[in-house]
Amino acid sequence: MITIKFYSLLRLLVKVEQVELALDNVTISQVLAEVQKKVNTPFLHKLVQGGSLITGTVILINGRNIHHLHKLDSLVKRGDEISLFPPGGGG
Amino acid sequence: MSYLVTDARLLRINLTSKTIKIEKIEKELFKKFLGGRGLGSKYLADEIDPKIDALSEANKLIFANGLLTGTIAPTGGRYMVVTKSPLTGTIASSNSGGYFGAEFRNTGFMMIIVEGKSPKPVYISINDDDIKINDAKEIWGLNTHKTTDWLVDAFGVKGAKVACIGPAGENLSRIASIMNDKNRAAGRSGVGAVMGSKNLKAIIVKGSNNVDVNQAEKFTQTVRKQNDMLKAHPVTGEGLPALGTKVLDNIINSSGLYPTRNFQSAIFDGVAEVCGEALVNKKYLKNNTACYACVIACGREVVLPSGRAGEGPEYESGWSLGAACGVNDLIAITEANFMCNELGLDTISAGSTIAAAMELYEKGFIPKEDLENMVEPRFGNSEAIVYYLKGMAYRETKLAAKMADGAYRLGKAYGHPELAMVVKKQELPAYDPRGVQGHGLEYATSNRGGCHVRGYMISPEILGVPEKLDPQALEGKAGWVKIFQDLTAVIDSAGLCLFSSFALGGDEYRDLINAVLDTEFTTAEILKTGDRIWNLERKFNLAAGIMPDQDTLPKRLLTEPLPDGPQKGCYSQLHKLLPEYYQLRGWDEKGYIKEETLRDLGLL
Repeated sequence: MITIKFYSLLRLLVKVEQVELALDNVTISQVLAEVQKKVNTPFLHKLVQGGSLITGTVILINGRNIHHLHKLDSLVKRGDEISLFPPGGGG
Repeated sequence: MSYLVTDARLLRINLTSKTIKIEKIEKELFKKFLGGRGLGSKYLADEIDPKIDALSEANKLIFANGLLTGTIAPTGGRYMVVTKSPLTGTIASSNSGGYFGAEFRNTGFMMIIVEGKSPKPVYISINDDDIKINDAKEIWGLNTHKTTDWLVDAFGVKGAKVACIGPAGENLSRIASIMNDKNRAAGRSGVGAVMGSKNLKAIIVKGSNNVDVNQAEKFTQTVRKQNDMLKAHPVTGEGLPALGTKVLDNIINSSGLYPTRNFQSAIFDGVAEVCGEALVNKKYLKNNTACYACVIACGREVVLPSGRAGEGPEYESGWSLGAACGVNDLIAITEANFMCNELGLDTISAGSTIAAAMELYEKGFIPKEDLENMVEPRFGNSEAIVYYLKGMAYRETKLAAKMADGAYRLGKAYGHPELAMVVKKQELPAYDPRGVQGHGLEYATSNRGGCHVRGYMISPEILGVPEKLDPQALEGKAGWVKIFQDLTAVIDSAGLCLFSSFALGGDEYRDLINAVLDTEFTTAEILKTGDRIWNLERKFNLAAGIMPDQDTLPKRLLTEPLPDGPQKGCYSQLHKLLPEYYQLRGWDEKGYIKEETLRDLGLL
């Protein structure tokens, strides 16, 4: 299973903390499309626009930001944990 | 009445001689130092010997409005307290929002310089040009909320705003804050202790003068455009209003950077209980609140199940009183935050000092008799954070009295200063620099010691704003840190909130400044102003005896790799970044400012 965790505004929007999907060896783009179907609430527009990550979007695979992997083409394997954060900031 | 920004005056109050003077400010100084942090630092550096004892009568306490404070500029409500810090020995400039700064600007004054020491407690009242030094015996000993209520009532003028100290400042805690509008803090570097050392309990202000700018029409258009940018940006328009700064708890924890149990780990297993999302889901958060002229509104209006109400916790406060102490009880953390506001304690330093006490005690370095039968400072003990906050503010027990002076002096008193997570004796904020190399350089070189708001490298290195940098990469980081530090000095001196910089950049700040000063500065020249302010502070610190060897991090962060999380095994590579940073700053290889740099910046 792949675990996908929602944080920040996404959690308030989709109203669940996490979902699990039986996927393996797929890109993060494919995972996100599947997740959106599963939660049945549009949320992708908070993270991605025009096929690219919105500035400030943080998507982690096991704590690693996909910016430093292969962005939206980063591969996800069984057992991975994905964390989704829309743009946020503070200090 | 109204007056031009650059016609603002300086109010000089000597509490020893009880004299009050009104002075002009040279117009050229606004162009060189803007206001706030820059202008306040210029006056402090010119007027005091950097070597003095910060708690002596010779120190001065400057309340400095930013260039744009009190105007309609986006987030233009901030003021600075500039003084020599009793915590670090460096120059301190501690920033606060709320409404005090704008009201203070409406009096027609840009700055108040408080000198000397009153023989007995006093407060200052300013109603335009009606300025008085008043007896404070009725309010000495009261917390900041009761003090504020008493003063507003006694002053009898609607809309008056108060900045004051609580018991912590009165008792000269070196981590005491100055609180304004009850819950906004000029928190860091012990500025509240300097106010206490002068027997000055409070300043209450009311003004009736509007601030005018030179190019009013252009200024108004620029402000409108920038407010739209702030509203449209996902961080300032959506994330910060909804979840406040605590939106960061999970981002930073999931990234393996959330300092836990005095930086012994960077993953907190209790984060789900205490994060920003929990504050919403548990329904403690009632509303978001805004400072003067702010469209972001990141403040947290919170009511606990007991009915106790207040503001906070913000990200830093929630972390220092939570994960840093291993505490996962959101009610206790929020209550502790309320207490810090009321007692007048800096939340970051207070929580971090308790965390240091917990490690010292658990490792057997604090003898049990020093507890005087009071609560054991153990990680995870929420009772301890509440008890020791009060203990520090009143210096109640032998141990709490030592803690009142911060983590470094506590660690040193028990023979283990290395367990204090400090830079230049100031407690570090809520990001473990072992996993963010640029941010580590920022901590090490901050002119007021351990601080995240002198050049917030978390933004590019973790949040990806304005662009995403690899947190472990070294190449180019020294340059990023310098630009962030210089731009921050500009924002601080302009009187704007740093959060505006998630949506605005150097060009936007340039446009605001040019409209107000009737100048044609380029963005590069604006950044050079920041560089000038940075070097002015550095020059003061070197003269105060804060040497370049203090541009470092606690030993733990340099030598012990991160023990867990996605960045397991990483540690700070500071030594590889410092030489390039010194070079970019125009300093020699040992970290001293070159004469040619001072000359180029007009500081000689």
